[in-house]
Amino acid sequence: MSRFQTGLRSAVLALGAIAFLFPFYYMIIGSLQTKQDPSLGGAFPNPSNLTGANYAAINDRINLFSGLLNSGIFTAGVLICTLVFGVLVGYALAVLQWRGRGVTFALALLVQVVPFQLLIIPLYVLITRNYGLSDNYLGMILPFAINSTAVIVFRQYFLQLPKELFEAARIDGASEFKLLWRIALPLVRPALVTAALLTFIGPWNEFLWPFLITKDASMQPLAVSLASYISNVAASTANPFGASLAGAVVLAAPVVILFLVFQRYFISTDLGSSVKG
Amino acid sequence: MQRRTRLIGAALVAVSMIGITACSSSGGSGSSNATTAKGPITIWYSNNEQEVAWGKQMVASWNASHPKEQVKGQEIPAGKTSEEVIGASITAGNSPCLVYNTAPSAVGQWVKQGGMVDLSKFSGGAQYIDSRSGSQASQYKDASGDYYQFPWKSNPVMIFYNKDLFAKAGLDPANPKLSTYADFLATSKTLVDSGVAPNAILPAPTSEFFQMSFDFYPLYAAETGGKQLVENGKSTFADTAGYDVANFWRSLYAQNLAGQEAYSGDAFADGKAAMAIVGPWAVSVYKGVNWGSVPVPTKDGTPASKTYTFSDAKNVGMFTACKNQGTAWDVLKYSTSKAQDQKFLEMTGQMPMRTNLSTTYASYFAKNPSYKLFGDQASRTVEVPSGSNTVAEMQAFRDEWSNSVIFGKGTVKSSLDAAATKINKLAAQK
Amino acid sequence: MGSLDGSPYVVAPKRKRHLFGRNPLGLLFSAPYLVFVLAVFAYPLGFAIYIAFHDYFFTAPGAVVSRPFVGLQNFIDAFTDPDVIRSFGNVGIFLIINVPLTVVFSLVLASGLNRAVHLKAFYRVAYYIPYLTASVAIVAVWLFLFNGSGLVNQILGPLAPNPSWLVNSSLAMPSIALFVTWKQMGFYILLYLAALQNVPNELYEAAATDGAGAIRKFFSVTVPGVRPATVLVLLVSTVTGANLFTEPYLLTNGGGPNGSSTSPVLLMYQKGIEQGHPDEASAIGVVLVILVLIIAWLQNRFAGGRD
Repeated sequence: MSRFQTGLRSAVLALGAIAFLFPFYYMIIGSLQTKQDPSLGGAFPNPSNLTGANYAAINDRINLFSGLLNSGIFTAGVLICTLVFGVLVGYALAVLQWRGRGVTFALALLVQVVPFQLLIIPLYVLITRNYGLSDNYLGMILPFAINSTAVIVFRQYFLQLPKELFEAARIDGASEFKLLWRIALPLVRPALVTAALLTFIGPWNEFLWPFLITKDASMQPLAVSLASYISNVAASTANPFGASLAGAVVLAAPVVILFLVFQRYFISTDLGSSVKG
Repeated sequence: MQRRTRLIGAALVAVSMIGITACSSSGGSGSSNATTAKGPITIWYSNNEQEVAWGKQMVASWNASHPKEQVKGQEIPAGKTSEEVIGASITAGNSPCLVYNTAPSAVGQWVKQGGMVDLSKFSGGAQYIDSRSGSQASQYKDASGDYYQFPWKSNPVMIFYNKDLFAKAGLDPANPKLSTYADFLATSKTLVDSGVAPNAILPAPTSEFFQMSFDFYPLYAAETGGKQLVENGKSTFADTAGYDVANFWRSLYAQNLAGQEAYSGDAFADGKAAMAIVGPWAVSVYKGVNWGSVPVPTKDGTPASKTYTFSDAKNVGMFTACKNQGTAWDVLKYSTSKAQDQKFLEMTGQMPMRTNLSTTYASYFAKNPSYKLFGDQASRTVEVPSGSNTVAEMQAFRDEWSNSVIFGKGTVKSSLDAAATKINKLAAQK
Repeated sequence: MGSLDGSPYVVAPKRKRHLFGRNPLGLLFSAPYLVFVLAVFAYPLGFAIYIAFHDYFFTAPGAVVSRPFVGLQNFIDAFTDPDVIRSFGNVGIFLIINVPLTVVFSLVLASGLNRAVHLKAFYRVAYYIPYLTASVAIVAVWLFLFNGSGLVNQILGPLAPNPSWLVNSSLAMPSIALFVTWKQMGFYILLYLAALQNVPNELYEAAATDGAGAIRKFFSVTVPGVRPATVLVLLVSTVTGANLFTEPYLLTNGGGPNGSSTSPVLLMYQKGIEQGHPDEASAIGVVLVILVLIIAWLQNRFAGGRD
């Protein structure tokens, strides 16, 4: 590998990183400005134009704590369901032979193709009218409960495990549950992290569904209350740009922080490697 | 290709659910004696700060004297608009009893959905509405003459102008020349050329259906002396008055006096536009601006006392999901009484839809002269057409408008004609 | 990455046939998921298809209305509307820009990242962050950056487009395509990173002994080596593009300017939720789903090779 190539690679990677991070940097700067500054100078912090007022304004209007709690419950519910039931079905799809397997997998693929807006009202009627679950965490969680993308990811990883592993254990008389729990799961731990991340951001960022299902402001997840704040309230504040950017920062911060905390586990997501090694 | 067969299999599974679906859609039955039932109810009010304060005091004062019929009030859950939440809650059967913020454009759909209570059904219902709002109320009747919405308050749309910017541009802030199209254009040109603001006026140039109410409709109402967009099932606007209004706006856009890009804040409050076209609710947003107001322009300068405009009304709707409709009706009457209307006027600056507003609350208008014009204008307002396709009609209009007026493509005449054809078709559907 | 298709690597020899297959336990393991999919996906989907063939609107519980079967009328109404045709065209433009950009950039960045020695963790975090963040949040910044007097135009100076990006009818859709490419890239990089692990090192060594340079190695080893992942990336980015909604809804305020960034899903939202015509909205949705399935099948057919 020549020096030139290494240099080129670093340059490409660095350029990419700037392109991805700059809007976030700009988001933070903008959220701290007393007055909007669209000029080039506005991209750099200017001590005379810095304030925390945009954040204070959000705090006055929105109960951040309850929003965070609701988002937490919503997301945790989805995560748990996906990790438990998604792993089970992923395992069944990859390792076990049973009738209906093909159709089940095709369904998981079909789920990806259909736009949510096509289903949303029938779903809303079903969940509120037939199940009576409006303003209820269960109703919020239900449509997202098992993430089909995660199911496909699980299946993919289980498929990569060598067949002989299972054959040997079965000959030793291990039950399928034990196989899954003791042998397969530890081997696909990186898949769990990946799938958990994929699954996490869905409900955390979801806006339309919890917005419809919750009438009660005290039940609303952060994404809903901040989105309403950005589109309704921010315009009437002293610095509308600052106010909506501050809303954006508050919404983005928890995910980014969580990701930073967990990313060292994520690093071992040189996915297949753990299987091979 | 096994996968193909599997996908078909999956689709079949999905389709076979139809049978189940088709059978499960009938629910409970609407009981007619609900109209007299009393007990606790829930109401929603708008999420604007002033209206929240009014709503809270109204609920508190009702609750103090009605221990058995307690009202629970809360802000309406709203994203960009609140209509989708209300529409969905009707279908689900969990709407509140009263919503103090229904947009007339959506009510027709909700009636069709079976979600609204006919207020004429209450004893003395129609009389109460007619006596409070006078002849204006008739715009809120449905095709068979019933009131499915309670005409509550209006925000007659007018032109706000920034006196300081006018003075800076060398214009007379006490007597701005804004009454005819020619004057309005000339004034706008002076404002922009002098550099006091990047836009003379900046109505949202975006594609949402309701934006037509804040550029075309007020001027059309003024130009025609109060014609609706659709009358007797036919669109009205493909006529000289309509073309004139559209050409007027097109000139503003063509000469860059109005911007084609939406502003994220409030352009008028931030000094990005020297004028705004909006109702009195915005006064509280414009605290920092030294503003004046005039009626919307007309081609030949109709005098202020004869100018019509768009009402931007919000009404009160009662929903069939309400169990204690007797209480809901009593609360509705209580909250629209002379005393509560006065509180509403004082707290929000918006106009209760009452006859003789200026004389009934003479002391308020004496103390707040800047509202006088709105109070007077409130008696000459035009509403969006009724019926279940109002939103679709407005969207059809908006799309054509966006094309020819805002972006200057084709001719104004052909695009308004196209919108008229589309709207006639929509209006003919039930 | 194995095949996208259902078959495990080893086809087991057929022994006795059981009612539920060789491992009925599989059905038990899958039962919760199946129940879930039937309840929250198949049922509403079936309902939506039913609606598409009827004169249907949603009613309050207890309201008695007739909803006659109308055959293809909703489809005719929807697809004689030039706006609907246009929205499909818009998505076409979107896909033509978005999909190739996504495939090229995510593969290049992923293979760079795969070989990177320094700052690996930092780059990874940088690339994933847009994907992690809610559109609502990011849209606020993009609006700020790309509006007429925004930073991007300030930098471009006289080269700035007029009208500006998001209100320019020929640039609005490309801007959205660019935004989505940027936002989703992290996910595709992740997919490619995983796939790159499965390209055997020996292939690179063999290519090196044949005297291949880095670029030829990339094209003769890496690109074919990650083909299954490419199929997946193609599929997912097509599906994401076809379901485009949030961006035209928020970034261009409802498909503006002048309808040049409407998408079928945005029209479904307008017709179904705002205007109370779920029947027409469902008709659009059904056609959209069928089109996506056809495209996915074609992609799998021509890019997927045979497995």
